Amino acid sequence: MIKVLVVDDSLSVARQLEKIISESGDFTCVGHAKNGAEAIKMNHTEDPEVICMDMNMPGMDGLTALRTLSVMDKDVKVVMVTSLGGVGDKFTEAIKLGAKNVISKPFDADTVLRILREL
Amino acid sequence: MAVKFFGQFLVEQGAVTSSALLDAIELQDKKNVKLGEMALAMGLITPEEIQRAHNAQMSHDIKMGDLLVKMGFLTPDQLSDLLTRQKNTHLYIGEALVQIGSLTQDQLQKHLDDFKADQAQYVSNGIELPVKTANDSIWEMTADITYKMITRVLDLQYRPGKCAVATAITPNFMMAAMDFSGDVEARYLISVSEGLQKSIAKVILSEDSVDNEPAEVLEDTVMEFVNVVCGNVAAKASQMGILMNINPPVTLSLPSCGLKAPDGHTVLCFPIHIEDGEKMEIFLLIKN
Repeated sequence: MIKVLVVDDSLSVARQLEKIISESGDFTCVGHAKNGAEAIKMNHTEDPEVICMDMNMPGMDGLTALRTLSVMDKDVKVVMVTSLGGVGDKFTEAIKLGAKNVISKPFDADTVLRILREL
Repeated sequence: MAVKFFGQFLVEQGAVTSSALLDAIELQDKKNVKLGEMALAMGLITPEEIQRAHNAQMSHDIKMGDLLVKMGFLTPDQLSDLLTRQKNTHLYIGEALVQIGSLTQDQLQKHLDDFKADQAQYVSNGIELPVKTANDSIWEMTADITYKMITRVLDLQYRPGKCAVATAITPNFMMAAMDFSGDVEARYLISVSEGLQKSIAKVILSEDSVDNEPAEVLEDTVMEFVNVVCGNVAAKASQMGILMNINPPVTLSLPSCGLKAPDGHTVLCFPIHIEDGEKMEIFLLIKN
């Protein structure tokens, strides 16, 4: 089972993602961080292989956390999950900072799992 | 299922890798000459003038071309000619991917067709505003995307009411808001009745019943709907050349008598009639 950390300030999005991940059969959710700072801490304690992270969060946002994670942990694969995915420069910035892909909201289970399996 | 730009669509579909996309963007950066550089290369302005314009741009929130005209370095005709040249020589991301060998012309055409079909759902059908405001097309598009997301995300039947200028914001069971900044300044506000809040929560959480969910989770589902709508509005605006930043959504509590429209703002109200008599209203508080 591939370990996934979910990072989103929204309880409902975290619930959606956790459900999709836990019902996939090949991924398991190791936790839920509510902002970028928590994500960096939980990346250390939970050692996930994949992080699904929101871009727009109060406190440390997703792009700032991505910048830190890409320096601290070269192995973890980060996928950004955001309603801003369609804003061209935000998407490009995330990819340039090392995100493997960007999942746009609203998302569906098939798209999320397809992107995670292609990592 | 969301507003996207073509490069993102290709990566999401697995048609090209993210590193190929970065290579293509790099090629675009090399080939697509900025307006100031083009004017310089054509001898229309001097390096000193462009430097002065760059410095002035720090405190002027307008495009470089308009600024060069405003500062008297270019005539309006010269700017128009430069913009046409820039448009005609622009290397689009699809062509850049062909040039670096990540796509063939046939594959590009097929993906473009698929992309157009995917994005056709976000093409505006036209909404009439009761007053003339700056950036009318942005507010019409905002209402349009809201309607489309009510169908696509919430799977609810609805009928849009006539948009009107509001002098006050009437309270409802719950209200959630998000602020826009950048080229436009406004607050997007959505109000929902209790039954509608539950309908939204059921869909967002994929649960048959939300009766035992805490109020915090129910409110969060409405805020997430606002987040999805506003994020897609910002994406569509960026395609229209308008910068719109969004902040995380918040919930609002209004007094039972409602809230007077704030000074210096035009408030547009879009009533939305949902099946089963539930009530939703969208308010746009646009800074004048």
